[in-house]
Amino acid sequence: MHITAIFKKAGAPTRLMKLTASLLAVMVSLVFVSLYFENNFEIVFGQQITLTAIVAEPKERWDILFDKALEKLKANHPDMDIKIDYRVLPYDATRTQILTSMSGKTPIDLISVDQIWLGEFAEGGFLTDLTNKTKDWGRANEWYPTNWEGGKYENKTYGIWSWTDVRAIWYWKDLLKEAGVDPQNLTSWKGYIESAKTLNNALKDMGIQGVHLVGAAHSPDMWYPYLWMLGGEILKQKEGHPEKGTYWFPAFNSTEGVKALDFLKQQVDAGISPQPNHFWGQEFADKKFAVMLEGSWLLGTFPKEQWGTLDQNIGMLPVFPTPSSDVNSTTMMGGWLLSIPQTSPNKDLAWELLTIMVDPQILTPMLQQEGYLPTQKPIGEGAYAAQLNSTIPYYSELVSMIPNAHSRPNIPEYPQIAENIKQAIDEVYYKIKEPKQALDDAAKKSAEVLGW
Amino acid sequence: MMTFSKTEPYLYLVPALSILFLFLLFPFFWNVYISLHQVSITSILKEWRFSGTDNFVQVLNDPNFHTSVKVSAIFVGSSVTFQFLIGLLISSLLNQNIRGKQLLIAVVMIPWITSGLIAAFSFKFIFDNSFGIINYFFNSIGLHSIPWLSDPNTVIWSIVIANVWYGTPFTILFLTAGLLSVNPSIYESAKIDGASKLKSFFYLTLPLIKPFILLDVVLITIWSINFFEIPLIMTGGNPLFASTPASLYMYRQAFEFGLLSKGSAAGILLLMINIMVAIIYIVALKKRG
Repeated sequence: MHITAIFKKAGAPTRLMKLTASLLAVMVSLVFVSLYFENNFEIVFGQQITLTAIVAEPKERWDILFDKALEKLKANHPDMDIKIDYRVLPYDATRTQILTSMSGKTPIDLISVDQIWLGEFAEGGFLTDLTNKTKDWGRANEWYPTNWEGGKYENKTYGIWSWTDVRAIWYWKDLLKEAGVDPQNLTSWKGYIESAKTLNNALKDMGIQGVHLVGAAHSPDMWYPYLWMLGGEILKQKEGHPEKGTYWFPAFNSTEGVKALDFLKQQVDAGISPQPNHFWGQEFADKKFAVMLEGSWLLGTFPKEQWGTLDQNIGMLPVFPTPSSDVNSTTMMGGWLLSIPQTSPNKDLAWELLTIMVDPQILTPMLQQEGYLPTQKPIGEGAYAAQLNSTIPYYSELVSMIPNAHSRPNIPEYPQIAENIKQAIDEVYYKIKEPKQALDDAAKKSAEVLGW
Repeated sequence: MMTFSKTEPYLYLVPALSILFLFLLFPFFWNVYISLHQVSITSILKEWRFSGTDNFVQVLNDPNFHTSVKVSAIFVGSSVTFQFLIGLLISSLLNQNIRGKQLLIAVVMIPWITSGLIAAFSFKFIFDNSFGIINYFFNSIGLHSIPWLSDPNTVIWSIVIANVWYGTPFTILFLTAGLLSVNPSIYESAKIDGASKLKSFFYLTLPLIKPFILLDVVLITIWSINFFEIPLIMTGGNPLFASTPASLYMYRQAFEFGLLSKGSAAGILLLMINIMVAIIYIVALKKRG
């Protein structure tokens, strides 16, 4: 039945009929016009492309990077209307979101990958193999070797390690002075524990604890440097794997591992409480602890305007405590890689964006603003180094730690292995097991996880 | 025409049944399918190998699952007991003729309208060993700090307290509705017969609101079994799995370690526990009938 007939039958007034008919006509026209533009957008307005990205907090660093990189990308492609739609997620949610998106084949063009996630993502077939692209790019030798290798899984490049961080000893100068503790004492295991006791006694009435001991989920990260400095390893290659021939086998329960874990035990025995919550340096900035072994991101907890004079109040020792002076200190290196998911519909453009983002000219201002450390020599040693050195407190000391820094295994099983090591550390913290027993049990479980 | 009339009512059920199938039955059977195969986050896009009951055996042999079931039992048992008792006490008080009753109801409902995540984060800071307000208060009156979140023996009670705070308003709301359904003249008759307020409460109020009590207990039990936001945010299940209930164990297996099949198997075991609770409820209701 015709629409006017319906209105007539219903006895509706003619004006209302006309108005409704006009509105309907306009709506139908709009639908057709929209459909036309959707299909012929490129002809009418030029090519429009929206690159999508999932990245981890904090947001500011991505705002700076994407803003500058997009500007350059647009300049490279004046014929295209390029946009970047990036979602910034909390650290824990980032991995889950990326994994669920990629397993659901959601098209995403760029992701930030924590170094330890790379193997898991690559093994799942979620990441684009960038090996050939990096060969054409020709910048691989500008990266510090450890950082370049960190982007590889089974000899293929899946990510570009864009910036890093190292852990070091940070201390409040006034608190150590008040307690009569020489900062240099913190560099040895014995001195570290003695200093902790002295600081606890001197500062407890002020509600300040001497030294910080991580008891949170990532406590293994703060144990590895002691393992590495003694010559130990988390995993090592071993022959005779039932499926893979040669594969990784737990090595953390070695003599070195036991000795390293015993140092954590000594700290607990000396009255240092493991902290179940880790606020990534904020607790140090709030003066709740006099000394803290923390990543270089701790600088970000202080206002930028204080950075110029920060060394007057805060001291930094670019080491982890060592058992004796003849042992070389090590540290753990973390940081973020940029990768292109297999599901990206714009792989070439995403690669171009990635290379622009890690271009020293684009990346350095972000590092300078946020206090991160470079993974590439042109920034760490070249002309840009002076720029960073003048703004980031203790920059040169922090960078000096990179050559001795180690990174964690990036194999798919690592999250479960880390959980087993965490359990071993907790068992020692809460005096349930001795270090050797705890590590042996964790190694047994980890061997099963690795398929042995 | 006659045939159409007979089938017509069933057609009206199609939307509801479709939703039921799409959002309940399909995910359930999909979960069962995953639990019978070897699927991890790294093999999700590859071929899934049939593994029979391997995942269930793995879960049932995992010492951490045993710990998590024990934690669940303490967490659920304590949460339900305290939520019910506190809820009953407050709803009985709110049922009296007191001034500002409406305001009080609004205040006690605040936790219920708060997001579980916000509640968990709040309690994480309240119970923090170093910054927490509770330890700050203890220290200010000369008492030692309590390691609320770092001691394996204490941590379970910290998450129980948080869950009781978060979940009790539901019991208050539910039992208040039950108490309002009781005819006040019954109390007047009991008073004339010489019954004290306490006797009226135990011999009249409780039996009369029994269906409400039963349903409330079943619901808060099931919610507590499945609830994992609070332990996840407050402790991440640490230390030593002492705050990892079975629901959090399931979540961690699937989404933290990427072991989707093992997580699915744990989920099905959890569902069986829920079904057992529901059966107890049905039996209890039938007995009442």
